[in-house]
Amino acid sequence: MTESLNNLLKATGLWRASRIDCEFKRHPSSGFAELDAELPGSGWPADGVTELLHDQYGIGEFRLLTPSLARLSQVQARWLLLVSPPYIPYPPALAQAGVDLSRIVISQPKSPRDYLWVLENALASKSCSTVIAWPRRILDKQIRRLQVASRTGNTWCILFRPEAAGINASPAELRLRLRPGQPRHDNSALEVRVLKRIGGWESGDIRLTFADQLHRPMPDFSEMVVRQVEAVPLESMTVPDTVPVDGRTYEYQ
Amino acid sequence: MNTSKNDREIWLCLNFTRLPVEVFNRQQSETPVVVLHRQRVICMNTVAEALGIRLASSMNTAFTISEQIVSIERDQKKEFATLEHLAQWAYQFTPSVVIKAPQCLLLEISGCLKLFRGLDNLKQNIREALDKLGFTATLGVNGTPLAAQCFAQTRRADNLDDVANSLAPVAIHHLQIEPGILESLQQMGIADCRQLLALPLDGLNRRFGIFFTDYLQRLTGQKPDPQKFITSKPRFDSEINFLSDVTSLESLVFPVKRLLGELHDFLRGRQLQVSQFSFRLAHRSHAAKTFNVMLANPDNDPAMFLMLTQLKLDQIDDMPEVDSLTLTARHFHDMEAPPGDLFHGTRFQQKDGSRHSKAEAAKAVELINMMTARLGPQACFGLALANDHRPERAWRPVALNARREVAVFEETGARPIYLLPQPPILESPGDLPHMAGPLTLLQGPERIDFGWWDDGEVSRDYFVARHACGALYWVYRQLSNNQWYLHGIFS
Repeated sequence: MTESLNNLLKATGLWRASRIDCEFKRHPSSGFAELDAELPGSGWPADGVTELLHDQYGIGEFRLLTPSLARLSQVQARWLLLVSPPYIPYPPALAQAGVDLSRIVISQPKSPRDYLWVLENALASKSCSTVIAWPRRILDKQIRRLQVASRTGNTWCILFRPEAAGINASPAELRLRLRPGQPRHDNSALEVRVLKRIGGWESGDIRLTFADQLHRPMPDFSEMVVRQVEAVPLESMTVPDTVPVDGRTYEYQ
Repeated sequence: MNTSKNDREIWLCLNFTRLPVEVFNRQQSETPVVVLHRQRVICMNTVAEALGIRLASSMNTAFTISEQIVSIERDQKKEFATLEHLAQWAYQFTPSVVIKAPQCLLLEISGCLKLFRGLDNLKQNIREALDKLGFTATLGVNGTPLAAQCFAQTRRADNLDDVANSLAPVAIHHLQIEPGILESLQQMGIADCRQLLALPLDGLNRRFGIFFTDYLQRLTGQKPDPQKFITSKPRFDSEINFLSDVTSLESLVFPVKRLLGELHDFLRGRQLQVSQFSFRLAHRSHAAKTFNVMLANPDNDPAMFLMLTQLKLDQIDDMPEVDSLTLTARHFHDMEAPPGDLFHGTRFQQKDGSRHSKAEAAKAVELINMMTARLGPQACFGLALANDHRPERAWRPVALNARREVAVFEETGARPIYLLPQPPILESPGDLPHMAGPLTLLQGPERIDFGWWDDGEVSRDYFVARHACGALYWVYRQLSNNQWYLHGIFS
């Protein structure tokens, strides 16, 4: 029994789930240790389609990517292509996150045909490190084509899609569901669940915290008590004999 | 000739014998084509010639021989434009090119023989290049411009020695002599140049006038014959006409390739690169259609030109027929010598720590070119910071070909990932912002009061606000009217 199993494993190169952590070590870190632990290869993939499913804008869905985008923009001389973003990504915010702005290209195709043409050609062109898109409707077979193109071009493809898309199966290699998380230590948080990954099952909910201090409470001025400072009579103030200047003390003449 | 052989001029004349027909019909077609001038055939292609049509015959005669003959009225303007274009094309062989209307080009080639490894090689090069263009020409080589022209017209073997000797067997009606003088000479019993040149010059001068003897002296090189050389103007126009209407755009690929090949030669001959060129598709009964091909960086790569042109052609769907195709280029740049790269394609660690390779950079430009060709120049841009404290003016879109200056990023408060182009007004019951539920103000205020000196005055208090659903927004209160606005999303 074991011998035949071993033969099978050797002959066919069967992949075993137990090798999840050791096989894909090459992937760079996502910048979030909790997420790295769940991703195959302990980091974001370098190619293939990654789907990020969320319903709400403003929960940190883009900031989830900024650490890796910043690193990619600095290390690789390839473009970061954003295809028809819902709003123009704000350059000062990207610069704050460390993204090299000269690597960013925004493309706004008008027709759905052009949209898919841009996605596929950019992915296959080998000249983009990452292609990010916000498709409203996209078919399975179209994603499959993007998956093939991103393998050819060694380009990471990120698709932001609504959460409802998670019900249906998708050819994407990696699917994550994003939901707003409870803020922790004044930092905003994001609740992530890996729905699909190579060599793994659906994960539990992971809470990622951003080091942004956005939830630091404002000082409440309404309850502040203004203390009266007692006036000090002038005679009681003493003038010092010596004054320290540049670390040395000089005496008054 | 007293001058030594080294500084003697050598002139090569290209005589475009079929120019009137070739301006209309460059490709070798199976259809007989004749060009008419005042109801008479003045030029025809080889197919028509094989059928037995003669020059100066009338159209009726031609039609009795074959019914498939296509006849075209002569267009001398077009002929001259084509000759000018051919002169610019010939500039790749020598800088001294002269246009001799109606159908000759003169090239002074003494300076370029070494480069092209001898006269035979040079002529071979010219012949091959002309074949590619689709023009036929006879070549003549001699020591003076007029003699070379005469040799090209009479198809005589090249002469690099004494001009007067070489001209001796030429019949005098092949020279450019006025008909009256020619008749008188023939009546005198003079048939060829040997006899003509043996006559005393002062006698000829008295009898036929100074212009005739001047011509003879320039012909034999006794007098200098200054020429007006073309200047290399950086402009490129080339046209291909089709005999029958082209109905499918796919069949334009071959003529497009030919035009782009000409453009490539033109650019290479001048060490130039082009950043933009345009095609014009025309038909006699439709409005002409023009499209531009823009490049992110100046380039001279015919393969890339062709790919971008095809992308543009794919988008044209309202052009039923085409009968002429024109390529025009006006925006030229000096060629930047590509630095030699011994380890082509290898990635080198740069000073700034990143790893770039030449191949990668070329690929990156190619993608931008493709996207601008397909989507238009506005649909593809980059981002840059701008020096302004107003959030909406702290950035600007930039063209991807421009070398950008690096704006210094100033430390500011938290900035959202998305900025809304038109901030919507928020409801504010109890002077607190609402957006389908109350917004909790988390951080702020960050006051931005800027631009009172120009039209875009801003005076606002910015806050980070949290919605009950967990989303973070960037909102502000306009100080002038205490109105709340949504300006950004912390995505």
